Amino acid sequence: MTATAKVDKSAAQGRNLGEFFFSNATRIAALLTLGLLLAIIISLVHGSWPSIKQFGWGFLWSGEWNPPQDRFGALIPIYGTIATSLIALLIAVPVSFGIALFLTELSPPWLRVPLGTAIELLAAIPSIVYGMWGLLYYAPIFSEYVQPALAATLGKLPVIGVLFSGASLGIGILSAGIILAIMIIPFIASVMRDVFALTPAMLKESAYGVGSTTWEVVWHVVLPYTKVGVVGGIMLGLGRALGETMAVTFLIGNMNFFNGFSLFLPGNSIASALANEFAEAESPLYTSALLELGLILFVITFIVLGLSKLLLLRLSRQEAVRM
Amino acid sequence: MNTDTKPSARTTDKAAARPDAQVVFRNLDFYYGRHHALKSINLDVYRRHVTAFIGPSGCGKSTLLRTMNRMYDLYPEQRATGELLLEGKNILDRDVDISLLRAEVGMVFQKPTPFPMSIYENIAFGVRLHERLSKTDMDERVTWALQKAALWEETKDKLSQSGMRLSGGQQQRLCIARAIAVRPKVLLLDEPTSALDPISTMHIEELVSELKAEFTIAIVTHNMQQAARISDYTAYMYIGEMVEFGLTDQIFVEPREKQTKDYITGRFG
Repeated sequence: MTATAKVDKSAAQGRNLGEFFFSNATRIAALLTLGLLLAIIISLVHGSWPSIKQFGWGFLWSGEWNPPQDRFGALIPIYGTIATSLIALLIAVPVSFGIALFLTELSPPWLRVPLGTAIELLAAIPSIVYGMWGLLYYAPIFSEYVQPALAATLGKLPVIGVLFSGASLGIGILSAGIILAIMIIPFIASVMRDVFALTPAMLKESAYGVGSTTWEVVWHVVLPYTKVGVVGGIMLGLGRALGETMAVTFLIGNMNFFNGFSLFLPGNSIASALANEFAEAESPLYTSALLELGLILFVITFIVLGLSKLLLLRLSRQEAVRM
Repeated sequence: MNTDTKPSARTTDKAAARPDAQVVFRNLDFYYGRHHALKSINLDVYRRHVTAFIGPSGCGKSTLLRTMNRMYDLYPEQRATGELLLEGKNILDRDVDISLLRAEVGMVFQKPTPFPMSIYENIAFGVRLHERLSKTDMDERVTWALQKAALWEETKDKLSQSGMRLSGGQQQRLCIARAIAVRPKVLLLDEPTSALDPISTMHIEELVSELKAEFTIAIVTHNMQQAARISDYTAYMYIGEMVEFGLTDQIFVEPREKQTKDYITGRFG
């Protein structure tokens, strides 16, 4: 008791002042983020208001993009954005799962660090480099060998065959989706690897202990145990795929017409439409329509985030108590 | 020292009901990389008896347990040499089917490790790896295992609930149920009560005494009273060596080795 009484009053005041500044500085930083978010939403809505007024909800499902006559619809870029992102996920999720599984369970220890670092380095390559590499090296090879092979195999199947039909151009929805997959693999794979590595060794040993194989341990025990983190990693990748601009611009073909459902066809995505056309948007309505596209991308990303939060909430309710 | 414990332990057994050795260690050595963790172990684990392994931390008792289901196989730098016979077959052989071995030698760990699935699935999971059962047979097996593990009354109404929602003691009994559901020959318990409260510990100890009617049990414990209470045979280990092995009563009442006596009387360890 005497010890506390001896505390220097001015020192205590100084510490309290420091605490006051510290807590307010963090509060301001947090509020600033919120404010910026609001400012962006407001300016997007404000900027796209002429277009919203002109086209109404029809903007969302009109496939017409006709700058000379000032008639705009967002369907083509919305379709392109979602299709390329879905293709990217379809490829990236299983591949990333394989990478994470190999790195945590199967790889010899000496290979773990170099391989893990190499995969993380993939994430450090700027997207414009992916775009140039994709256009100059990958697209020619893709049109020469991969597309004909796909057309000859998957293209012959009923129903989904139509997705793999048409001319082998090298650029298009599928090409862009595959490049996106390569770009998001490092994100998804490193999150998956990290959460797999967090699984308690004893839990894995228990699963091995009843006679499971590595595959059974990972599929039935590690994956359910880490599902929250895995979903988070996939959403991180999806978020990046939806908004990716440069690489997609190089490879998607930037075509604003809908010619059919073939994934070989060129298309457009929201981000690449913005990147390509903003400089040449002359009429105020054109600019406004582009801003509305940006708003739509924002909303799509927001919905994806919301859905993933909802999914995680459901998962955590099923699994109220962890070890 | 090791070599003469075994024959002498055998002579002591002659007085008892002459149990047969289901697991036999013959000159077993174990290495973590270069570290020589088990030194020429010779030991018999008797059928349908409880054998306790005691000794100070790092003496190799858990390592010894983990050789019996080759859990160390998961870690490339760990290896065992010598012979380890399960009913006459050397389980250290390369051609041994590990999955099958682990069906025959079940294991329960220091901490409860329920799988992230329902109580029912926790038990059915292991069974399904080795047997194809109809729904009725599987229900029967799950019920049987939960009854054997003294968990049936508490869980029969919530079999579809996550196994992770049970209390610590219940989770550990679930892990025991999971291990015996596969109907192993040998059950390895690696400090199964170290994370549990005294009441749950008592439940598990009672369970062990009941289970030995059907299973051979090898238990590692740092709790000497526990070893004295529940085991028929006790092995005292020290820095990778088997110092003394014999009937639990003999080890605790009149240990032959001075080291054993020092440890048991609490003078060290």
